[in-house]
Amino acid sequence: MKRLTQLSAPVAALALLGALSACSSGSRTASGGGVYTTIDAKNPITAGAPMNPFNASGTAFIGYNTMQLGFDKKNALDPNDFFPGLAKSWTSTPTALTVELQPDAKWSDGSPVTADDIKTSMAVALTQGKAASGTALLTQGLDVAAVKSTGPHTVEIDQVAGAHNIGFTRLVLTQFIVPTKVYGSLLPADIWDTIAASQSQDPADADAAKAAVDKLNAAGQKISAFAPKSDVSAGPFVLTRVNPGSAVLDKNKYFYGAAKIAPKQVVVRHYTGNEQIWGYMTNGELDSAPYTSIPSNVLTQIQRAGYQRVDTVSYVDAAIAFNESVAPYDNRAVRQALAHVIDRQTVTKVGEPVGGTASPATTGLIQSAAKQLLTPEQLAALDPYTHDLAKATSLLEGAGFRKSGGKWMLPDGKPWTITLQTVNGFSDWIAASTVIANELSSFGIPTKPAVTADFATYQKEMADGKYPVGWWLTALGPDPSAAYQRLYGTSDGYTAVGAKVSHASGKDSGNWVNTPTSYTVDGTALDPGALTAKLSTMAPADQKPIVQQLARATNQELPMIQIWDYTNVQFTSPKHFTNFPRQGQDALLVNPPGVWMMQGYVQAK
Amino acid sequence: MKGLTRRLLVRLGTGLVMVWVVATFTFFLVHALPGNPGDAQYEQYLTQGMAPETARAKVAVIYGFTSHEPLLQQYTSYMWQLLQGNLGVSISYTGEPVVQVIRAALPWTLFPVLTGLVVSFLVGVTAGVVAAVRRSSRWGGLLSLSGSLVAGVPSFVLALLLAFLFHTLWQILPFGDTSDVTLEPGFNGPYIASVISHAVLPVATYALLSYGGWLLAMKSSVVSVLGDDFILASELRGITPLTRMRYIARNAILPLFTVLALSLGFMFGGSVLIEDIFDYPGLGNLLLKSIGARDYPLMGGAFLLITVAIVLANILAELLYSVIDPRVRR
Repeated sequence: MKRLTQLSAPVAALALLGALSACSSGSRTASGGGVYTTIDAKNPITAGAPMNPFNASGTAFIGYNTMQLGFDKKNALDPNDFFPGLAKSWTSTPTALTVELQPDAKWSDGSPVTADDIKTSMAVALTQGKAASGTALLTQGLDVAAVKSTGPHTVEIDQVAGAHNIGFTRLVLTQFIVPTKVYGSLLPADIWDTIAASQSQDPADADAAKAAVDKLNAAGQKISAFAPKSDVSAGPFVLTRVNPGSAVLDKNKYFYGAAKIAPKQVVVRHYTGNEQIWGYMTNGELDSAPYTSIPSNVLTQIQRAGYQRVDTVSYVDAAIAFNESVAPYDNRAVRQALAHVIDRQTVTKVGEPVGGTASPATTGLIQSAAKQLLTPEQLAALDPYTHDLAKATSLLEGAGFRKSGGKWMLPDGKPWTITLQTVNGFSDWIAASTVIANELSSFGIPTKPAVTADFATYQKEMADGKYPVGWWLTALGPDPSAAYQRLYGTSDGYTAVGAKVSHASGKDSGNWVNTPTSYTVDGTALDPGALTAKLSTMAPADQKPIVQQLARATNQELPMIQIWDYTNVQFTSPKHFTNFPRQGQDALLVNPPGVWMMQGYVQAK
Repeated sequence: MKGLTRRLLVRLGTGLVMVWVVATFTFFLVHALPGNPGDAQYEQYLTQGMAPETARAKVAVIYGFTSHEPLLQQYTSYMWQLLQGNLGVSISYTGEPVVQVIRAALPWTLFPVLTGLVVSFLVGVTAGVVAAVRRSSRWGGLLSLSGSLVAGVPSFVLALLLAFLFHTLWQILPFGDTSDVTLEPGFNGPYIASVISHAVLPVATYALLSYGGWLLAMKSSVVSVLGDDFILASELRGITPLTRMRYIARNAILPLFTVLALSLGFMFGGSVLIEDIFDYPGLGNLLLKSIGARDYPLMGGAFLLITVAIVLANILAELLYSVIDPRVRR
């Protein structure tokens, strides 16, 4: 009896806990059919954030309650390839984009989406740091000069006269479309006059143009800080409640494609890091989850919880970067030798076993983009820098290095050691660094990994040239221009404003890669920075010859050694919903689930 | 009474000086961190797949909220605004007042930290008295052992263990957020139950982390008081066991009040780790985000709040001490 009394307290406590959890697990039990629970990779949700897509931390979810005219398919060969959004269709001319709006497009209060809303949205977009003047306006900025209604559901968006911006269609289609009734009053009454003044190309008006850009930016600050009282959405869902750590969106009954939308509610969960997302999945709490870096054992647990893995292309590659202002990394043979010593297959197996594929060759592009942009003959002609210690030895000896007591000595006879810099929070880089350090040390180059406290510090110290050898993300895309800007852009001292390119090096220049400004490839001299800047002004069809030159040059010179291409590993759960996009549907899978639903995917079981 | 008022005024004055010193120190410290808000955000946008020109444009907005005045001028402006109760606007929330951002997160740190502290104090102190009075018995030994064991476990180990057991393995307690977002907030059963169940893991962690300390400190204090002459004298006068316990407890608990104030500060500081592990969106989580984003005003605001909480807790402890122990009033 006494024993029973002693046990009664903990038993009662456990019973209470059980009762509490049963009372509060509404979202889990309600998920059967109606509630779609997920994570938004671009929005971890932070306490106190306003329901405003223009706020950097705003509680707004693209594809759910935040709409665009279209959704980017991330097609490397056609940057204007989009899924329809609020635009049912569109036609481009060299001077304008004509958009046919979805005829039934409505806001969540039942009012129609009008040409005036598109006009307001473009004006708001121009206040969000997108306004530019001079050459930048004509080649890179969002150079919208006017928005006109040309029919009941058609809108013409004009480009500034004389502009030559190859990204005009893409830039217009990807702007957030917001209601005039909510955001219109935040714009100055003379907004379009100000926009016109900012776009003047007359050098005599330069000061007025600058003043207009400043005025637009001031309006932009007001807009980004704005906290609407409630959400007015033209998307499939409308935000109804925000907790400090999650948000719930209800189905928008006025959405033009409401019949295709199966979930009655979407719950977006908060996260601070990969571990939380793994935890939600191992508990079966999510219906889909975006990419997170995952070790093999966690993958097993997630799959055991019933999740299906879907791999798609990811336009990111992990690379070892060099500061070529520091000897011996200014020597191409040294970089090539190191590439032969590092066994990328082994390193990838340890560093990114689930979400990585060892890079077949360094080109500045991920392999799938390289396959699209280079011919099979060009791909075959690239040096794969296979794991070949004999070749590494020969390259180093040719560069004047000698081995003594099992250790490589620099040409001046001093010992050669490497500190391989990585950053806290990048567990894949840290694990891979250990393998690389072992490989290099075994080869005779004592190497130790070093970890910087956080990424902001890493970035600053890298830009200051403090790390001769360190990890870096490269091949960002899908646009090859973006991928090569990563190599031969600001981090290499190049600044491009339109077609005009300038180069800087030395202290405070931000140039930490320090490649030479001229490479000789197959007997021809080329300037990688100038070629990269040229890429950004060219139509995709015309880009290939330059991409091929840059890929060849990068493969020969190795300003960085590409270690692995990331794979966008996502997970879907068949527990409550079916008909998820499948492997191979990359265009869909690079978009959030709200876009999948708009296309008729994700149906209740 | 006059002495108490004077003491309070002196303590408030000292507290204000401490707040100023800490505010100054943290202002320069956070600005000395390498990196800047624009670069940190630009890199994040790029790795999310944003085109460089769009990322640059978005960063330009953030740049607009970053002060570019000389540091000393920023400091004087910051102090002037602080005097008027203005903590500035957040950079990473592009223009949201820092006060508003902190206000949204603060209750979700205060609630579990204070609950954890009160629970651990009450349980630890009571257990400490029992462990001291029955120190020769099996129960006394077991209680002391439990205190030593729990006090020796690092906070992250304890938090991970609780998360693993109650969330992952047995799935009886939720994880992340402050309540089930699908429930209507208000004074209704399901919502209150949801808030409580979401707070159980962080509260239990805070409570367990400090339970051992309270138990051992109280036990030691009680043992020391038990040997005092006045207890022996009281016993010889034939006082009741209850009165004897009251004498012991009142005298033994005195040193623990100072520790109580200090531990509030420690628990606030510890919230960074605990909230991160449980994905609980309070002030600690906000502080982590602000450091990563180099959001100087938000970092300064969060640090300042923690400082003010510690200073106020110290003043409160001293006042309480004066009330409990008449000797201090002299």
